[in-house]
Amino acid sequence: MYLRAANINIDDSVLVQQSQTGDTAAMERLILKYQNRIYNVILKMCGNPDDAAELAQEAFVKVIESIDKFQGKSSFYTWLFRIAVNLTLNHCQRSSRTAARSLDAEETEPNGETARVLRDCLSDERAADPAAVAQSREICELAKKCLLQLEEPQRAVVVLRDIEGMDYAQIADVLNIELGTVRSRLSRARSNLREILESMLK
Amino acid sequence: MKPNPNLDELLSSFIDGELSPRQRTEVQRMAAHDPAVARRLRQLQNCRTLVCSLPPAEAPGDLLEQIRQSLERKTLLQEQPVAVRRSAGVVHLMFRRFVAAAAMIALVGVLGVVVYQIVAPVPGMQPLPPLAVDSNPSKPVPDLGGLAPATVVDRGFSGRLELATAAFTQADAFVKRAVETYGTVETVRPEMAGDRRVYRVTGSRAGIQRLVASLGDVWQEFDSATLRVSESEGASAVTIEAVTPAQMAEVVARTSTEATVETAQVYAVMNQMARTMPGREIAPLMDDDSGSLFASDPIPMPKLAGATDTNRTTHTPPSQGMAQASLTIVLLRSSK
Repeated sequence: MYLRAANINIDDSVLVQQSQTGDTAAMERLILKYQNRIYNVILKMCGNPDDAAELAQEAFVKVIESIDKFQGKSSFYTWLFRIAVNLTLNHCQRSSRTAARSLDAEETEPNGETARVLRDCLSDERAADPAAVAQSREICELAKKCLLQLEEPQRAVVVLRDIEGMDYAQIADVLNIELGTVRSRLSRARSNLREILESMLK
Repeated sequence: MKPNPNLDELLSSFIDGELSPRQRTEVQRMAAHDPAVARRLRQLQNCRTLVCSLPPAEAPGDLLEQIRQSLERKTLLQEQPVAVRRSAGVVHLMFRRFVAAAAMIALVGVLGVVVYQIVAPVPGMQPLPPLAVDSNPSKPVPDLGGLAPATVVDRGFSGRLELATAAFTQADAFVKRAVETYGTVETVRPEMAGDRRVYRVTGSRAGIQRLVASLGDVWQEFDSATLRVSESEGASAVTIEAVTPAQMAEVVARTSTEATVETAQVYAVMNQMARTMPGREIAPLMDDDSGSLFASDPIPMPKLAGATDTNRTTHTPPSQGMAQASLTIVLLRSSK
């Protein structure tokens, strides 16, 4: 039991070194450690559970195939997310038209109570607790749809920041962009997201 | 308040804790003194909190297994490098082409052998007497400047019929009477030599045709009948084994030397096949009354009669301009 607990806390760099020497158990531990986070980020970016599962699988296969080439210039964490996000962005670009049509077809007007709660959340005067508001299933679905209406680059920074919790430097590393670009893109993404939400409430 | 991109960027970074301490202090001061800035800050914070609060999704339980299977599939596919697989395909394709070419060459070779066996001269055969000549060899061929149409040249018919029979005397008498009846009298020159009779008959194709047709009445007495047809003197002959009167009449009835030889070749092959084929499937065709594979006018079967027959026309010498036909009939006594 002590040994298993110790293994769980092993640093990524150690597991990566073991993986590079052919230790499949170390690679499995890395996969188990990050699979939920990778899947969650991909799902929030592409919006389709099946596509997300396939892209997550593809990302980990690519990591396993390329682990020998990983030189540690960046952390394994950002390297892994770079692969996953790039695969997802490519997938989203390929299927952007289909996704747009799908969203249009599924577009639904929020009912009166949901609209009122969401409007309160977005307003600044009588703001309800947004975290509590997000527990509503309908509001969650609405927020996800609004997120998918953002352009892919803006969606990527919002997801990496607000869902995965990366700092700006990590986002810049993952997306291979400048820190200032992350800052401005994130600001525009939040502003656009708020406008999309407001337009759905009108 | 109208959104200000620069302000939004500053507020967004403030929310994320990405400002320097000095910038943070400045934003706090602005929010404290400007209600519009404070309101915008709360709007952006609420929006961020909404996204942050979305429930996280968990990866499928079999994701690790799916990854493992995907790797196994890829490993299987990559056991052979692409170059090796491609070259294997090329080799396979080349092998198939080689086999196809070899089969074609072999087929052509077999056909060549078959054709050679048909048209090759029979070893030990005596050349036929020079009886076939052009119908008018002295007539010059007009020069049409290379535009002359193809003409069918009839150099006549020249053949040698060998008949073997045990009933030599009876058959000899019949053949002699037929030759005298249908052959040209002055050209009948029987050679008597013990158990061998040779009749050299010349005349028109029609006369020879009637002569051979008349032999049908006594044909059952012959143990073997072989007809040799040659295009010209010294040329290779075509031998028809087990020839029938109808076949002989058909060969003689051709209107050109080439057609005569071709017809003889066909019957030679046909009779050869009839003798060698296990089921003798072709025999019924050969036994047919027509005895012919060619569409042609029916052969006028002569009425057997004596020398006083009023219908005889064969004593008439070949008309001017018509090709001569000659047939050498060799009658042999068989030991059967």
